[in-house]
Amino acid sequence: MDSLIESPSPADRSSARPDSISISNVDLSLGQGAARVHILKDISLRVGAGEAIGLIGPSGSGKSTLLMVMAGLERPDRGEVVVDGVSFNALDEDGLARFRGRQVGIVFQSFHLIPTMTALENVAVPLELAGVPDASERAARELDSVGLGARLHHYPTQLSGGEQQRVALARALAPDPAILVADEPTGNLDEATGQQIVDLLFTKHVERGMTLVLVTHDTLLAQRCDRVVRLRSGRIDGPAASRHWIETA
Amino acid sequence: MTLALKSVRRRRIPGLPLRFALRELRSGLRGFYVFVACIALGVMAIAGVGSVAASLSDGLAHEGRTLLGGDVSFSLIQREAKADEIAFLREHGSLSVAATLRTMARASDGRLALVELKAVDDAYPMLGAATLDPAMPMRDLLAKHDGASGDVYGAAADPTLLARLDLKVGDRVTVGGATFEIRSAIAAEPDKLAGGLGFGPRFLVSIDGLRATKLLQPGSLVRWIYRVKLPDGATNDRAPAALVDAARATLPQAGWEIRSRDNASPQLARTITRFTQFLTLVGLAALLVGGVGVANAVRSHIDRRRDVIAAFKALGATGRDVFAIYLTQVMLLAMAGALIGAVIGAALPFAIVGAFGHLLPLPVVPALHPGSLALSVVYGLLTALAFGMWPLGRVHDVPVAALFREAVTSEWRRPPLRYLVWMAVVVAVLIAIAIGLAYDKRVAAVFVVASALVFALLRAVAAGMMAVARRLPRPRATMLRLAIANIHRPGALTPSVVLSLGLGLAVLVTITQIDGNLRRQFMAALPAHAPSFYFIDIPSSVSGRFTAFLKETVPHGTVEDVPMLRGRIVAARGVKAEDLKPSQDAEWVLQSDRGLTYTGEVPKGSRVVEGHWWPADYNGPPLVSFEKKLADGLGLKVGDTVVVNVLGRDITATISNMRSVDWQSLGINFVLVFSPNAFRGAPHTHIATLTEPHDRAGGGAVKDAAVVKAVADAFPMVTTVRVREALETVGTVVTNLVLAIRGASAVTLISAILVLGGALAAGHRHRVYDAVILKTLGATRLRLLGAYALEYLMIGAATAMFGVAAGSVAAWLIVTRLMTLSFVWQAGSAAVVVVVALAVTVMLGLAGTLLALNQKPAAVLRNL
Repeated sequence: MDSLIESPSPADRSSARPDSISISNVDLSLGQGAARVHILKDISLRVGAGEAIGLIGPSGSGKSTLLMVMAGLERPDRGEVVVDGVSFNALDEDGLARFRGRQVGIVFQSFHLIPTMTALENVAVPLELAGVPDASERAARELDSVGLGARLHHYPTQLSGGEQQRVALARALAPDPAILVADEPTGNLDEATGQQIVDLLFTKHVERGMTLVLVTHDTLLAQRCDRVVRLRSGRIDGPAASRHWIETA
Repeated sequence: MTLALKSVRRRRIPGLPLRFALRELRSGLRGFYVFVACIALGVMAIAGVGSVAASLSDGLAHEGRTLLGGDVSFSLIQREAKADEIAFLREHGSLSVAATLRTMARASDGRLALVELKAVDDAYPMLGAATLDPAMPMRDLLAKHDGASGDVYGAAADPTLLARLDLKVGDRVTVGGATFEIRSAIAAEPDKLAGGLGFGPRFLVSIDGLRATKLLQPGSLVRWIYRVKLPDGATNDRAPAALVDAARATLPQAGWEIRSRDNASPQLARTITRFTQFLTLVGLAALLVGGVGVANAVRSHIDRRRDVIAAFKALGATGRDVFAIYLTQVMLLAMAGALIGAVIGAALPFAIVGAFGHLLPLPVVPALHPGSLALSVVYGLLTALAFGMWPLGRVHDVPVAALFREAVTSEWRRPPLRYLVWMAVVVAVLIAIAIGLAYDKRVAAVFVVASALVFALLRAVAAGMMAVARRLPRPRATMLRLAIANIHRPGALTPSVVLSLGLGLAVLVTITQIDGNLRRQFMAALPAHAPSFYFIDIPSSVSGRFTAFLKETVPHGTVEDVPMLRGRIVAARGVKAEDLKPSQDAEWVLQSDRGLTYTGEVPKGSRVVEGHWWPADYNGPPLVSFEKKLADGLGLKVGDTVVVNVLGRDITATISNMRSVDWQSLGINFVLVFSPNAFRGAPHTHIATLTEPHDRAGGGAVKDAAVVKAVADAFPMVTTVRVREALETVGTVVTNLVLAIRGASAVTLISAILVLGGALAAGHRHRVYDAVILKTLGATRLRLLGAYALEYLMIGAATAMFGVAAGSVAAWLIVTRLMTLSFVWQAGSAAVVVVVALAVTVMLGLAGTLLALNQKPAAVLRNL
């Protein structure tokens, strides 16, 4: 908390550094035929490097889809997405995967650890895929940094929910990504455990100065971000609000 | 501002897919047991067949000298070697002479039996040993004793003959004009295999004994075999070849059939090769059926691992990376299956020799045959790759969005084009190996086309079945409505069940139809106008009298009598026989001596299809009529010349016409028929048939015995062959072959049942879900069970109809085209197959569901 308060204001960050994420006029529909739904409608959004933004909105408003667009997991039908200076329009599927492996860390609501791998191996996966030679050592350090130094060789089923999410966080952080995206990271955890994970998430965000995009239903959690973007029916609902706007709303 | 693309390139790490694949395998083999078993079974069949055949070929090669009875053998038909020929052979090594002929043995009570008589000299056997019971030196066995009523020669008889004529050691039999005392039973002869298939039991006598029978008339069908054992120093491989060359060069007119120790039984070796190929194709069929199991297993595995695949991609793995990981995993499992199969297959020759070694009539030398084993493993891996590629290719496009959005998971698309191209390449390699290594490439090609056709048809049957089910009016009965809906709903079991059951059934029906037809052909009714007897070695001087005698003995019978000589084709269209390049179908014509005849009329059962028949009183240069298909196989046309060696003389004849011959009539037919003057003055015998007009089913054996006895009494030199007995002998061999085919087919069937079980188990999860939801909504277990049974029954019945149709067509093609026999559809066996298939499908289908139905809904719902 303290570190957040001490950090520069969002406006300062955006102006001091180049855009980490720049989304321009993005449209996206999913499904086919009669089931096709227009999910994102002419979305434009800029996120400064090192900024933390919270995406909030009711179910079906398009926040998770917007997160996927930012992470290069979903291609928009129209518009441009530029992350860390790289236009996604210029990358093919494999190029996007490689970019993601190095520059984007993802934390899921359901952790999505690989059940056949130990905690250490799970964390090492993105490093191994990126061809990092000391993947295992770096993974061990990353797990140690999230407090799981003693659980390296445990399989996901041998870990609690909170521990699994820590492993997922360590895995997302391991390649030292420029942006970290988290989709309801506390959605499958009890309140106390969720709080610990959130603390850890923000601590790492500040320590490493990376951009954080957080999708959540929890307004209290969103308040901890530098800026909150509210989505409604696939559109950004009003101007992107700062943390202070949320606090006073 | 955007960065250059190369910034997101990275170096590939060798071994990464293997590392990740091995980690993935930690979850165990769940869902892969059928996969591994299918590959193991198919590979086992191919490795086993290959290993046994190679061990057998090794045995033949290893024992070649013993089987041949020497280093080189020279055989002559109808004549003994001349003095200069014998002198030539003696110059090159030790010589042993044997003669074989088919004749009648008569017991003292008058009973008669056809025997394969073999007369040997004192040197026999130069190699190996005959097994006699009681054991005694060959000299003592065959020696002549002076008896009160004349000379008595020693003999050894096959136990079958002793049983057939109620004889025991010490009893006497007469053959022709000589009396023989049976001094021993002969259990095994070292050189028996080189002789080919015999129609009667062996009767071993001395050459002197044979001469005493007075059966050695000019032209009688005696085969004289001269075996030369080279001096002990000449053991290198070139020595026999040098003798063969010298014999051809020095005595070009001899007309003998020469075999050397490395090719002791070419016919047997060829039969083994051909049969191995058939069994390999049956093994491949097992692999193909197993391939469906592979595809099913890979598809459900990929389905279960979608989250993990998506997670890999979220962490930076490209589509190609995840494909490589799962491909590696599948190939590791395929390798495990293939190795299991190869190990069992490799052990097969050892197991066979261990268990049945003493019963085997063939020399099997069990050994590891790395070539055969490697080939079977390659077949296994390629099959896994060919069938796994489609579901694996779809891994490439698994969306990471699956991790966020549950609904997306049901979307499955066609794999990217590059994987389809790879699949096509793998299939092409598989086909190229199967056809390229086949002995008979045409058969292999037909197999490949038929397999592709059956696959395509089964897909069409499944699609058709689903389309029909979709369009059916909604029935009132809930059970039926549910069953029909299950057949066509998305993710229905129909395609995989139809494919696995259909393939298995098609193979089973093919085998049972072929089996039934072979049995019918060789063991049941004879063709409508088939003769009941053949009479051979009728001296031409008595042939008229013999015909009259037969007509008198069997007044309503039809007698056909033709002159017969034996001769070898030594050249055709100016090319030496050994340099002619015949098609596979026609090779046999050149490999041994052939029966020849002459006549002024077109023979019965033949039809001139090209050229003109000669006038009945033709008296010009020799003309010959050739069987059309074989002439084509040898590349001969009307107007070409053919040189045949008959009794040591070369006779050149011009082909004046071609005939088509109905071989199945079992009448007297010849490949080569000459003009009447071609063999003027040559000593020869006649061959006759007796065809009885009535159904011989009742009391046939008694009547037949009377005919045999009457002929033997009046014409002791004539040999009578009962067609029924001869066919039974062939039938015994065929039964053994069918047994081997059944063994290999059993592997295909087990595969099919495994695949079917696997396919049904793959749908089990959905089935449990449906069952529990329906139970929650008030459906009783009985009603659900009924609905599922009805569904399986409908799918099974439709597939069974297709399986029976496809299998019957395949069997018809094999029986009529490859075996050139007549085909009669076996309705009984088809019905049994259908009933068994339905029972298996319903039982396998219900087995899994039954467990789910017995669970309380709440417990299952919590875990869904």
